[in-house]
Amino acid sequence: MTETRVRPRFELEERLATRLEPESLPALILPGAAPGGPGAVVLASLGVGVLATGLAALSTGNFVADQFARGTVLGWLTLGVAVAGFGLLGAGLWRELRGLFAVRSVDRLRAQFADGARVVHAARTWLAELPEGAALLPAIAAAAGDPQAVLALLRAGPAATLRARSVALGRVAAAQVFAATAAVPSPAFDSLLVGWRGVRLVREVAVLHGMRPGLFGTLALLRRTALSAAVVLATDVALDAVLRGVLSSPVLEHLAGDVAGAGVAARRMVVLARVAHAACCPIGEGR
Amino acid sequence: MDPVAAARAWLPGRQTVRIGVTGLARSGKTALLTSLAANLLAAGAGLPTLPALSTQLAGRSLRVALAPALASGVPRFDHAAHLAALAADPPHWPERTNSVAVLALDIDIAGRGLRALLPPRQLRLELLDYPGEWLLDLPLLSQSFAEWSAATWRRMETQVPAAEFMRFVRALPANAPSDESLARAGHALYRTALRRLRDEAGLSLLQPGRLLMPAPGPEPPWVELFPLAGDGPLARLLAERYDAYRAEVRRALQEPGFGSLDRLLVLADLLTALHQGQAAFDDAAAALSAVARALRARRGWAWLASLWPALGGLQRVAFAASKADHVAERQRGNLAALVGNLALVDGPATRAFAIASVRCTEDVVWTLDGRPVSAVRGRVAGAARAGWSYPGEVPDTPPDAAFWVHPFLALPDFEPLRVPLDGRAGIPHVHLDRLLAFLLEDLL
Repeated sequence: MTETRVRPRFELEERLATRLEPESLPALILPGAAPGGPGAVVLASLGVGVLATGLAALSTGNFVADQFARGTVLGWLTLGVAVAGFGLLGAGLWRELRGLFAVRSVDRLRAQFADGARVVHAARTWLAELPEGAALLPAIAAAAGDPQAVLALLRAGPAATLRARSVALGRVAAAQVFAATAAVPSPAFDSLLVGWRGVRLVREVAVLHGMRPGLFGTLALLRRTALSAAVVLATDVALDAVLRGVLSSPVLEHLAGDVAGAGVAARRMVVLARVAHAACCPIGEGR
Repeated sequence: MDPVAAARAWLPGRQTVRIGVTGLARSGKTALLTSLAANLLAAGAGLPTLPALSTQLAGRSLRVALAPALASGVPRFDHAAHLAALAADPPHWPERTNSVAVLALDIDIAGRGLRALLPPRQLRLELLDYPGEWLLDLPLLSQSFAEWSAATWRRMETQVPAAEFMRFVRALPANAPSDESLARAGHALYRTALRRLRDEAGLSLLQPGRLLMPAPGPEPPWVELFPLAGDGPLARLLAERYDAYRAEVRRALQEPGFGSLDRLLVLADLLTALHQGQAAFDDAAAALSAVARALRARRGWAWLASLWPALGGLQRVAFAASKADHVAERQRGNLAALVGNLALVDGPATRAFAIASVRCTEDVVWTLDGRPVSAVRGRVAGAARAGWSYPGEVPDTPPDAAFWVHPFLALPDFEPLRVPLDGRAGIPHVHLDRLLAFLLEDLL
């Protein structure tokens, strides 16, 4: 058995060798990743939009031509009205798209912050969008050599300020919802009121983060917070159960009335503000 | 999953998990801690540096950051300096550490199932560089002074570096007086012998461990002991000191810093021991087995410790053979089996691995004596040339006499593979991800 074993050996190569390189890292494929490209609903909505706008534009063009046939003054007047109307429509659309792109830029910045080599560039881009961001630029320049220090500066500075302000907005919304829910005569209106105030709160937090989302931007924001909204729901259910449990005594129930439900809805606003901040802020909270 | 651990997972706040990283002499603890931190940080940034961990996470998010310095008196592990040394060109191996250090990482893991609706689970992973020498004190707890002295004499009798000490103790009369100068002289000789046995003979089973790695602070007088047979006055004095030493070991096991370890990783450089010959290998095997037996006795109380953490208790223990990149993948299974065999690995709470914290080689097929064998190729440090190495067949059980006919080859001094992006993209390794996935399995 011993004789059949290959004897240990070590040999040096003749040629000089460069340093060995590691194999390239495989691409990270997460299970359940969403397929790229717009979904069916988005495509259908786009189709409806193109048809409505395009056919309206063609009809308007024909109508303007007919008006010119009836009289020059009438024609110019109709053209002016059409240009003003479509101009306002275009301006609105442009603002919507800008708002939408601003929401998407959060993802781009997050990717840059995750890449150590582009942290400083991302920090400058983000600070340029924030109202008080310029004040931190010298400190960022001083810490440019250490990406972790730059991230720590951003977390302790603008990210913390934005979070505090978002929570403050949430508290204002909470106070309003608390008062309004107690005053609304029918429970059927409660969810409508809370839903409307919630969407408004998300938009307010987005504006705080340097975005001005329109309808589509708000929809994109709400989509981004879909998972976080589930957190709100889970917290809501838990709190509701606790408060209702505490107030289950008939005397306390009589005294407190439906304040427990209003309190839970108000609490939901504060949590929603935090969630919206997390969706709009490209910097994670770290610890 | 442990029901107590499962209940803890639902509680808010950051849960601290303490992992002791220890090992027999020169097994690569510093390199392991550096690589582990770099690869976890890279995994937190979305890079697939730890595939086994990614598989367990199944797409859930992982966020990792170095935790700020702790309030405890244990020095912080200098991760940045060690990483810079490995990422330098030419690279340097981290300096051998002679002190205790702690590396703390904050990890946020998104939950699975219903827990995904809640905020991510927050863990603080404290990796304590626990001296391997101290681990070898555990077997002393179940040995009397007479038993320990007899066993130590048996091991030292044939060792040249211990010859001077052995001459001294053999010359002592059976009823030697309990004289302080005698005790001090014997202790000085014993301590020198221990150091030489570690540095020159490469032995591991050297007790008491605190003689080689003193605890922080002034040294208490009862540390001055040495093994002595008989029941004369001097032997009785040394036996009292031995008991005081064991009491201190028991007390240290309850300390928050070193006592309350949740998990333990024991590293052993078995490939070097195979090269150093039968005596060195038997010594390493005896050290590993003694530690495993002591840990097994201690782990029996783990369920109680999980209810009352102050009691301390190891929930998982991993034994890993280091420098596994010096043999080809085909042989790493044998290496893991060998360490598992020596460490008496059984049950779900212990497992054996063959790892390389910092990979230095690539696997190649080499035709030797007309037969293709799995070998490794690496760039030899300082030579600027690559070398092909087939150090020999790694046995999967403690080798018999036939194995020592063809001695296992010395491990060449290969330099680490280039570390991409100064370590921000992790450090190339071998099976470190499997080890980490086992240690953290119930927390993921």
